[in-house]
Amino acid sequence: MNINFSGVTKIFDPDIVALSNVSFNIEQGEFVYIIGQTGSGKSTLLRLITRELLPTSGVAAVGGFDLRRMRKSDVPYYRRDVGLVAQDFKLIPSLTVYENIAFVMEAMSVPKKIVAERAHDVINQVGLWRRKNMKPSQLSGGEQQRVAIARALANSPSLFIADEPTGNLDFHTAAEVMKILFAINASGVTVVMSTHNQAIVNSSRQRVIELESGRLIRDEKGGTY
Amino acid sequence: MTALKYILRDTWRLIVNHWVLGLLTLITAGVMLWILGITTLFSLNLEHLLSRLESELAVQAYLHKDSTLDIEEIAQRIQDLEYVYSIKIYSPSDSLAKLQEKMGSQSRALDILGDNPIPYNFEIHVRRAEDIDPLVDSLKAMPEVEDVVYAGMVVKRISALSRISSRVAVIMFVLAVIITALVVYNTIHISLYSRREEIAIMYLVGATRAYIATPFVLEGTLLALIGAIIAAGGIVGAYFPGMDMIQANMPLLKSSLLTDKAIIWRFCGLLAGFGATLGWVCSYLVVSRFINSITRPE
Ligand SMILES: Nc1ncnc2c1ncn2[C@@H]1O[C@H](COP(=O)(O)OP(=O)(O)O)[C@@H](O)[C@H]1O
Ligand SMILES: [Mg+2]
Repeated sequence: MNINFSGVTKIFDPDIVALSNVSFNIEQGEFVYIIGQTGSGKSTLLRLITRELLPTSGVAAVGGFDLRRMRKSDVPYYRRDVGLVAQDFKLIPSLTVYENIAFVMEAMSVPKKIVAERAHDVINQVGLWRRKNMKPSQLSGGEQQRVAIARALANSPSLFIADEPTGNLDFHTAAEVMKILFAINASGVTVVMSTHNQAIVNSSRQRVIELESGRLIRDEKGGTY
Repeated sequence: MTALKYILRDTWRLIVNHWVLGLLTLITAGVMLWILGITTLFSLNLEHLLSRLESELAVQAYLHKDSTLDIEEIAQRIQDLEYVYSIKIYSPSDSLAKLQEKMGSQSRALDILGDNPIPYNFEIHVRRAEDIDPLVDSLKAMPEVEDVVYAGMVVKRISALSRISSRVAVIMFVLAVIITALVVYNTIHISLYSRREEIAIMYLVGATRAYIATPFVLEGTLLALIGAIIAAGGIVGAYFPGMDMIQANMPLLKSSLLTDKAIIWRFCGLLAGFGATLGWVCSYLVVSRFINSITRPE
């Protein structure tokens, strides 16, 4: 699924221009950093891809399909192909780590046995199997981040969206999260992540899309911060 | 099938999570539906009684003692009156025989009358109690009619009572439905509201709206259904003993009441179905509104 933005503008009420005339194309299998200061529009861009937001003008298309014209009943099926790690994790506080991951598959009517196998796999992948019966509130920020990643992986998506997944993590923990994301990308999944962590961007040299006050000011392959 | 299992598990979680609120809801629904059922049954009984009595309603019209009258022709004219359901002609001798039969051993007292004093008369049946008054007026307006005798007072009272009671039943019905609907609506709204974050997250990670909504709709339907079943139990528990008591004290009413167990059970089944449907409609409305507002993209 390639992502194609052409002339996308997003204006929030009353008059906040979060994105202004943004155009880019991301091919299947790419790894892309979205960088920019706080308030530059990174989250808005990612939330347009997940269709939490619709553009005020311009076209945001995924897999050649204009998201604005997607039928309401098709949205869940689209989202099953998009793994999402939100800036605030969006874990369900009343459920354990295991349940938080299992319910995504349950919502797709996956039988219990396969849910258990797959949950085991993805929780292991982020190194949290020992924590599987804990509630999110009992975990550190880095651990919650990894639970969110594991949940996004559960449905084997072909597109992975992560909003500042290294946001509040120390360098060592951030590096571990990045290792997971590179592994995901290595399996052919498109990864689009936002960050304002210079060290991480500079150490891996991937494609960089830079935003400033909602405008795209740089789109560079193998860029630095 | 797999999805159904998960949905039922989530429904159970919802109910257990808000069990106090759920209990209050089903008690309210139960009481309201019980009142609805009892008032409906009361009014059905009155109507039943009324139709019984009305079928026995008769007006007796006595003609002048005049041998030149054409009885058949007068009978036809009465038959053509607006409110007449059926008419039966009694000749003087028929009437006397009837009277003697009624008086039994005392019928010899009639002998002292000598000549049969009873004129030709008609027994006229109407369909409804309200028809009596206008019929009597038109009969009295006929010159051939000497006297009109009828016993409609009790029936007219019951008819008026029945009209009031069916109006009360309609009001109670509407009230009970509105209160039950509001309570279910509100409970499910609270249930939804306390899980609004969870709902948003589920939708964001690919759960369909139906998958998210069904446990809430089932919660509302189930609460109303259980309430209705309790109401039905309460109706059966109160109705049959109540009927036994009335029949013991007022034997006259014996055959005029609804005491057929099958009818009452069917009524209770209807009530339970009605309660469940009401719960389903309300929770469906509140759930779809809520989920629509939460999942709409900005
Ligand atoms: N739901 C919203 N309503 C109003 N303004 C918003 C909303 N979301 C974001 N914004 C505004 O849009 C701009 C871009 O925000 P965001 O995309 O979150 O930036 P970033 O993720 O780069 O920090 C900011 O000025 C922010 O205040
Ligand atoms: Mg952000």
